[in-house]
This record gives sequence, C-alpha cells and structure tokens, in this order.
Amino acid sequence: MEKNVNKVAEGSAPRWLGQFAGAVKKKWAGFSEIVTHGNFRVACSMFLMGTGQMMYKQWAKGALYLLIQAGFFAYFILVGAADLFGLFTLGTVEANPWYGIEGDDSVLMLITGILSVIMLILYLALYAANVKGVYETQKRVEAGKRPFTFLEDVKQLFDQKFYKTVLFLPVLGVSVFSILPIVFMILIAFTNYGGDIVPPRLVDWVGFENFGKLVAVGEYATTFFKIFGWNILWAVLSTGINYFGGLALALLLNKSCVKGKVFWRFFPILAYAIPGFITMHGFKFMFANGGPINYYITQGGGDAIFFFGANSTWPARFIGLMVNAWISIPSSMLLATGILSNANKDQYEAAKIDGANAFQQFWYLTLPFVVFATTPVILSQFIGNFNNFGVFYFLRSDVAESAGYVLANDTDLLINWLYKMSIDNNYYSIGAAISLIIFLITSVISLVVYIFSPSYRQEETYR
Amino acid sequence: MTKTIALFLAHALAVIAVLTTFGVLGLQREDQEAQERFTGVLEENVTLQILDNDTAKETGYLDELLNAFNEEYAQYGIKAVDANMGAYTDLEKLGPAGYGPDVVYQANDVLMRYALNKHIQPLPVEEMEAYSQIPKEAWDAYRMQMGEAEYTFAVPVNVQEPLLYYRKDLLPENWQEEWDDDKNGVPDMVENWADLYAFSAEIKASSNGTKFGYMKSLNDQYFAAGYFLSYGGYIFGKDETGAFDTENIGLSAGESYKGARIIRQLAAIMDNNCADDTITTSAYELLGNGTYFATMTTPDVYESFVENFASSWSRTHRDWTEEEVDAYVRENLVMTKVPALPLSGNLYDREGETMDMTVMGGINGYAISSYTKAPNAALAFLEFASRKEWIARRCELLGIVPARADVVEEEGGVAEDVYDDLLNGRIYIMPGERAMTQVWASLGSLLRFIAEDGLANGTAYDTDDKLIAAMKKLDEDIYSAIHTLS
Amino acid sequence: MKKSKSIKASRAVDAAITYVILIAVAVFFFFPCLWLILASFSDTGSLYTLKGFFPEAFSFRNYQNLFTDTQMYNYPEWFGNTLFVAVMSCLFGTLLTILTAYCMSRFKFRSRKALMKTTLVLGMFPSFMAMTAVFLLMTQFNFINNHWGLILIYSAQAPMGYMVQKGFFDTIPSSIDEAARLDGATNFQVFAKIILPLSKPILVYTALTSFTWPWSDFILPQLLLPTMDNWTVAVGLMYLDETEFARFAAGSIFIAVPIVILYFCLVKYMVNGMSAGAVKE
Repeated sequence: MEKNVNKVAEGSAPRWLGQFAGAVKKKWAGFSEIVTHGNFRVACSMFLMGTGQMMYKQWAKGALYLLIQAGFFAYFILVGAADLFGLFTLGTVEANPWYGIEGDDSVLMLITGILSVIMLILYLALYAANVKGVYETQKRVEAGKRPFTFLEDVKQLFDQKFYKTVLFLPVLGVSVFSILPIVFMILIAFTNYGGDIVPPRLVDWVGFENFGKLVAVGEYATTFFKIFGWNILWAVLSTGINYFGGLALALLLNKSCVKGKVFWRFFPILAYAIPGFITMHGFKFMFANGGPINYYITQGGGDAIFFFGANSTWPARFIGLMVNAWISIPSSMLLATGILSNANKDQYEAAKIDGANAFQQFWYLTLPFVVFATTPVILSQFIGNFNNFGVFYFLRSDVAESAGYVLANDTDLLINWLYKMSIDNNYYSIGAAISLIIFLITSVISLVVYIFSPSYRQEETYR
Repeated sequence: MTKTIALFLAHALAVIAVLTTFGVLGLQREDQEAQERFTGVLEENVTLQILDNDTAKETGYLDELLNAFNEEYAQYGIKAVDANMGAYTDLEKLGPAGYGPDVVYQANDVLMRYALNKHIQPLPVEEMEAYSQIPKEAWDAYRMQMGEAEYTFAVPVNVQEPLLYYRKDLLPENWQEEWDDDKNGVPDMVENWADLYAFSAEIKASSNGTKFGYMKSLNDQYFAAGYFLSYGGYIFGKDETGAFDTENIGLSAGESYKGARIIRQLAAIMDNNCADDTITTSAYELLGNGTYFATMTTPDVYESFVENFASSWSRTHRDWTEEEVDAYVRENLVMTKVPALPLSGNLYDREGETMDMTVMGGINGYAISSYTKAPNAALAFLEFASRKEWIARRCELLGIVPARADVVEEEGGVAEDVYDDLLNGRIYIMPGERAMTQVWASLGSLLRFIAEDGLANGTAYDTDDKLIAAMKKLDEDIYSAIHTLS
Repeated sequence: MKKSKSIKASRAVDAAITYVILIAVAVFFFFPCLWLILASFSDTGSLYTLKGFFPEAFSFRNYQNLFTDTQMYNYPEWFGNTLFVAVMSCLFGTLLTILTAYCMSRFKFRSRKALMKTTLVLGMFPSFMAMTAVFLLMTQFNFINNHWGLILIYSAQAPMGYMVQKGFFDTIPSSIDEAARLDGATNFQVFAKIILPLSKPILVYTALTSFTWPWSDFILPQLLLPTMDNWTVAVGLMYLDETEFARFAAGSIFIAVPIVILYFCLVKYMVNGMSAGAVKE
C-alpha cells in the first residue's frame, strides 16, 4: 500500500502538468478546427454574437446572444474598462473631502478591478459558447439534420445540460461573494494597505515586501510556529471529539431499547438551537473568575481557578474543546442520524445471522459506511475547526498577549492571530500575507487528504 | 477560413480597443478646484443625521435638543434627526460609502483618528460662541498640526475622567471620629488611597470575603493607566511640533513601577473578579446592593448606577414610594474626584505625604463628517448644541461634567473638581493615535499578570526590581508591536 | 431456557447503561440552557449577581421590557427583520445547495473534479479576511442597509457547503435514476420526482442549517446594516450586552425558541425519515 502511495505521489507532478498540456492542446485543436472549417455564419457570430444563429433561423437564441454582447460592451464602456485599468494604477488622485475634491479609493478600485476581470472572463466564456454553438449547428446541418429549435435548446437545459442550468447561479454567486473577496485578500498581501495607509490615502503595489518583513522579524516566525502547532492539535482533537461524539450519540439513540427518542434528542437539539454567540457568552461567564463554577469552588473551601487567566493555557484550551464539542456535537449527531437511516438493513440482518456482535457490526459495517459517506464532511469539519474563530475570540479575548507571543495569546488559533493583526492592529497587508502562507499550507494538506480519501477515489463503490 | 480569422481578429481588436480607450478615458480626472465648504450660507431643505450616545437617547435629551433645533431652523427647511445608529458607529467605514451620519458625538481619541484621514471637517471654531467659554486644554484635545497649518476638529461638550463612586450610607457610623484625621469633614477613605485601602481590607475581613470596599477590574487599561501616569510615566512623548511621537514610549518612565506595585497591592483587597472584565457590567448592580462600597468609573454612567441602586433599594424597602427611593439614592450615591496617592507608592503608608492623582481622561464632543452634503447646516447644529442652555440641560439629564466654564460655575461640586484637574494638567488626555491599540493590548496583558500575581500572592512581581523590569519590557513590547511591521 | 434468561439480563444491563449515558448527555446539554433560561427570569435581571447558578427571585420583567420598552432597543422589529432574512436565505440557500450537491453527485462533467477541489480549497480561506471586500462590494451594489443584500450573500455563499448533501446523494444508488432514465424521464424529472422525495432528511438538514446561520450570525449584519431599525436580533443583542444584561439573556432565550419549534415540526422527517427499504438495490 505504502509503495503504491509513493508511486502516485512521485508521478503526480509531471502527470498533472501533462494533463494540463493535454487540455491546452485539445482546446487549440478545437479552436483551429472551427477557424479552418467554420462557414460564413460562424464567422459572423465571431464578430457579432448571435448573428450566425439568426442566419440559421434560431432567432430567439441569436437575439439573446446579441443582447448579451451589447450588455457587456455597455458595461465595459461605462465602467468596466476603467475598473480594469484601475486594478493596475490603484488610483492616482488622493481625495480631499475637506474641500470637496473627489479622489480615488484604492481599495475599492482593487475590488471593482477584480470584478471587471470576472466579467471579462464571463464574457469570453459566453463568446466561446456562442461560436462553438453555431459551429455545431453548422455540422448538424452539413450532416443533413436541422438546427435545434429554441424549445429543444431549452429542453436540453433540463436534461443533458441540466447541470449547466443548475450550476450557473451557484458558480456566479460563489465567484462574486467568495472567490472575489479571496482574490482581493491575496492581492492585498502585495500592497502596502494598512497602518496609516488607508483610504483616502492611496495604496500601492509593493511586490513581495510584506513577505520579506515577515522573514526578517524572527519573533513572528516563532509565534507562527507555536500557534500553528496548537492549531493543528486543536483541529485534530476537536474534529475527532465532535465527529465521534455525534456518531456515538446517533448510534445510542438508534438503539432499539431506547424509548422516547424524540425526548432524548431534544436536549442536544436545544443546544444546537441556541445561537453560538449566546452560548459562548454563557460559558465565558460560567467559567469566569467570579462565575458560578468558581463560586462553588470557593464555597467548598477551594482556591478559585482562573480558567481564562493570563497563565491558564491548558485549562482554557480544555474548556475551549469542551465548549466547541457542546456546540458541534448536536449537528454531527443530526448528520450521522441522517446517514445511518440510509444504511442497508439487510447487511445487518445478514451479519446478525453470521453471529457478529454489536461491536463487530459497528466496526465492519457502520463505520466504513458512515466514514465513506462523510469523509468530505470530516474534512470540512476539520477545516472549520482549523479556522474556528469564535471559540477563543469569545472566551479569552481579554488576554491580548501571552509571554513569548507577538500580538497573540497562547490559546489563539492562527485565525485569531490574523484577526488581531489585521483588524485590531490594522496590519491588513501583513495579515493578508500571513493568511496566504497559511492558506497555501492548509490547502495543500487538505487537497492531498481529499484526493486520497476513499469517497473521492471510489465514489462508485457503494452504489 | 480567412473570413473567420478576419472576423475573429476584428472582434478581438474591438474588445481591446474598447477596453483601452475607455480604460484610459475613465481614469482621467478633471482638475478640481478646492472649495471652501463653510461659506456661511445655510443649505436649505436638508436633513442632518445626528449620531449621539445611548444615554443621550435614553434620557430623552437628544429628542429635546433635536425638537428645539428643528423649531428654530424650520424656516430654512433644515431638519435634524437621530441617525439611529450604534454609538460606536465607525465613520471611517460608513462615511466614504455615503451612509454615515452628518454630525458625530464621540470621544476625542476616536475623533482624532478620523481627523488623521480627513474623515471629519476642520471647524472655524474661533467664530463660535462657545469658543471663549471652553478652556484651551479642552480645545487642545481636538487640535492637530497637519502640514503647515493647525486645525481644530470638534467642539468639546464634556470632560471624561475617572471618578470615585461610593455609597455614603455604607460609611461606618463613627467615621467622623475614626476616619477623619484632618477633621475636614470629608471621610479619609474617599480622600486618599491608603485609607480607602485600609477600610476595604477591614470590610473584606469582617464580612468574610463576601463584601468589599473598593472594587474595579484592575486590568482595565484606561482606569489603571492613571497609576503609572501619576508616578512619572507617560504614553507617547511629543516631538518638536507638539505631535505625539510613537517611537518615544514612556510607560516605564519616572517611578511608574510604583503604580504597578499599587495595582498588585489592590488585588489583595478584592476577589477573583479583579482580573476579569465582568466587573464592568456587574459594578452597577453590586454597588447598588451594597456588595461594594466604592468603584471608579467615568461620570457619564451616573444614571446607570442610580437606576440599579434604586431598583435594588426598592426591592428591600417595598413600602417606600418611588420618589423617596430616588431621593435616598441620589443623596447616598456620591461621585467625587479620585483619592490622593501616597508619595511613597505604598498603600500601607497611611501617614506619609500624598499627592493628587493624574488620571487618563478624554474630551467628548461634536464633529462634522467630511461627507456631509450640508456642512453649513451642520455647523449651525454644532453652534446650537453647544449653547449654554443645552450643555446645562445635558448636565442635568446625563450627569456629565461640562466643558463650558459658565455651566461649570453654575453646577459647582464635582464638575468644578474635574475642571480644576483639567486646567492643572491632572488629566492626561488620551492620545488619538492608531498606535493606542498596541498600547492597550500590551498594557492590558501586563495588568492582568500583575493582578493575578497579587491575588494569588505569587512571586512573579513581588519586588520593585521585578516590577521595574516588567515596565521596561512593556515599553519594548509596545514599541515592537507598533514599529516592526509598519 | 437458561440462555434466554441470561440474554434478557444482559439486555437489561445494556438498557440501563444506555439510559445512564443518555441522562448524562441530557444533563450535559440541558444544564447550560436551563441556567440561561432561569437567569433570564431572574428578578435582578443579571447573571453577574447570582450566587452560584440559580437566582433567588423570579420575574417576567425582562421579557416584558423586551417587548414594551422599544424606544431605544426595538426588539420586536429586530425579530421581524431576522425572521425575514433567515426565511428568505433559507429558501434560496437550500435550493441552491441541494441542486449543486445533486449535480456534483450525478453529473460527470468535465470540470467537475476541478470544481470540487476549488470549493474545498476556497473553504480553507479565513472568511473574516474577506469582510472588507464584501462590504465594499455591497456599497457598489447599493445594498447597504438593505436586508436583500444580506439574503443575497447568505444564499450565494450557501452552495459552498454542498459537501454533506453530495455525500448523501452519493449513497442513493444510481440504479434508481438509471431505471427512470430508461423510462424516458429527463434529468430534471429524475431530480424532481425521484431523488427529491427520497431526500427529505437531507432537505430538512440543509434547511435547518441555512436557516440557523443567518438567524444567529452577527458579523455580516453588523457590517451591512448601520441603522438600528434594520438590525437583526443578533446584532442588537451583541450591542446590548454591556449595560443591559437582563435584556440580553431574555432576548437570547427568545430567539432560540423558533429553532426549537422548527425542530419539533420537522423531527419526523429528520428521524429515520427515509425508510431503509427505499434504498434497496
């Protein structure tokens, strides 16, 4: 098995390149075929989108394409082109609102610039679809068939191309509200945004300067590695606790001897229903120096424990894990319940007849089935926990800094550190640079895990 | 084939041409002329969004003010309304986007941070009626040198400094004999820290740790800063133009370690809460129900104390009328200037020389957003709101310490004391620097370490040498937090 | 005879242990909730002054204030705003998520694996870092101070979390839809008429999660809704907590109620909603 893994890992880089080169080659071949074999109608569509379709009497489709082209050109003429250029200059005139002088808002220009790039890509994609479409129609006609009618096109969108119809909105939404902000943050890492340089002052591109600073200041590196270590430990522990806690709870509630399942399930659901920020406030106070827990400890004659004090690294970490479990176990329980209800009951019957005990059933049937169905979920829970901002932000934000850490305390996760750095202390560009580094590390790890996960490799096994 | 290539290239060229021409054209800006915004001509038919703090809204002060203003300016069609936003709304974020309020009431450190990036308008304050009534020290909090010129950015409304709140009815009955050594008719325990300390220790011991004398979260930087400032510490030094120099950090200057020692000593008369922020919230109620004898906070929350004191008092005195309770509460909840510190920096030293405490304070005031469409109308609002009658009304309803001398004169009492502190440099005005974030963060952590050490009677900070070293380290930490990355 | 007795005995022991664990779990989850609930009914209205866990005197004052004293803190209005945003985001979010997951599970199109990897990697990025960008974007779309802006963002980001749902669809045997396709059904019909009815548990799960997110989120509304009238409950409560803890506790408990009710309404779908028989191959 190990050998096998190594082989794949060794071979993967060139293979990946090869795949990429193959895809480029294929695209080029397709393009040159259209150019060499395309007729006049295809050529027309190459200049004015939709005209070729109209010549094939596909009026509605053609008009739609033409309208799209007109729309995009209007956008580019009115704002898009200027936005695109703004991405490079990031503004030239500083505003002075005191005297009503309008200026450039560099940060805004960065965003509208990225938006215009997205729009340009979208336009080119639609343009390509338009050309390809009309070429396919040409081939159909040459083969003696008639062009698709509008109704047939629409029908296809609900059948063979159903995924295109469905995925259009999500992909657009994710591009604008998830990808664009991320690209924005990545680009910020290469500017001098932050500190005193915030709009209306003009921000500028600085290349790799921020990364250079990070390398130059050794304290940051040590803080980084300390936090990173704890962050990994936290993510592993809390994912494990939450996942298996939820699964155990679901199995427990699935047992035939349990009466009143709805009643028992009510308690975790109640925990699930109370919004996280309220829970966190509650727990923070519960373990506060003068909170109820300490009240009983001191009443009982003990010494109060500073759960979230300046020196209480491990108590605070432990409570963090517990609070996170309290919040997350109910949802993994729900998930596990849903997955378990999908399980094949025949297999269990067969196993029983073969004399398998409860543990064996769990180990050989339930666990593989559940883990298969939820590997992506475990992974996304792991990521969620890795980037779990809320727990320590709420519980221990009073302790701003611990000894031996720069701008962080010893329970902070990387994301809390980033928050302190970029939001509390205004170092946006440095924060972005660090998050880029973290992002690269974590995404490589999770991609590797994902690609080797059973559900990705053998999606079909359980069908 | 040639046609397809030709038309394909034509399209590509068209796209590139459109992008470059309109890209270049779109970035061109016409030369704009600087316009003086305060022309003296009132904009007509405008609505001004006024952002004031929560107590001003709760007590009805803001409504009164807005109604009076609207009546007077109805003839110009100028209307002022509550911006209806949280008191800490960030003009820096909302203003440029066009959603911010026109007039903001906030503390000087926030306002001056806005000023740094021109989010608020410099004001022609010399022409205002309130100018001569407000002392230079208050105006200075809003002044900034930018380039050649010096600007003033806001109109001071009230002075914020920590005051001692205590319960007169919880004083020992024989305080006149036992606790008034100088026979000046003021109890010693609210006059100097050493006596307050002794009194608190007594309360804690006799109640078996269920009641306390003086109580305050010791890791609250704003209030704790005073101990360091009093013994010669400072936050930022000033350069030759009078601006703050963030490279010169002096929290360890002078004998400021004595301040650190005081904090460590104070922990002993408190309980676990002293290193916890929950006190800030619970103090209102715990002072009201008699668990605490005294605490320290700013004058603007007086009404919150009154409210909590009254509700807890009426719970135990069901037969009292509301008026009786209110009268009792206002009689017995006293707000006074903070006690004097022992010169020796030792709270067990009740006999030695004392000195007035220097405290960290601030000036709250009105400023005008640079993004307002109606600067002249907004200026008229500032002029109106800073009139004597309105500042006096604000005092009456909110219990603030006014910045106007004529109102202070009429008010007398604690307002005069605070004023005196302001004029004599015993209020260290909070610097309006972005770098204050780093100062607060590092200072807060050290305070917590010291308080926890004092509470547990630990050995981390038990000698002067350790405290001196800790203060030095604090300055270095702050310096590196501010400067290594920018 | 003996054997069946011992089986019976071991079953009883097993049941007893099960119940002990269940009770422990119930206490673990219920106790903090109970504590918050009791505190919200405390007469002093503050958690901070309780001696230990339980208040000494009870009253409805805090709840009363919540709905009557609305001049500054208009809780009923916040509640309405939250409900609107959450319901709308839930509708759009669930629809988009389910559809995305279905496509990712059933269609083997060219860019599928790339898309899957991309979304996985995107999820790794610390999301608060993007807040500035989201705020500026919304100023461009003129969606500041507008609930639809929030709904747009919640719905648009919802499909990113399609993984759970895809996992679910993966466990539905593809033989079912292949059979339907042979009968001449289009993909849309397969989805609407065959897959969807089989997916109630995951629908409910998705709907619940995409409802609770906007319901309890305060970061985004705080960013996008400056005026107090437009606030959602979470923003309002976060603003309150310093000086008005009583209100905070009461308001918090109150917004948990609808989700609990929702659960009770939907529980029969959630719990073993899909009979195992339907999945038989």
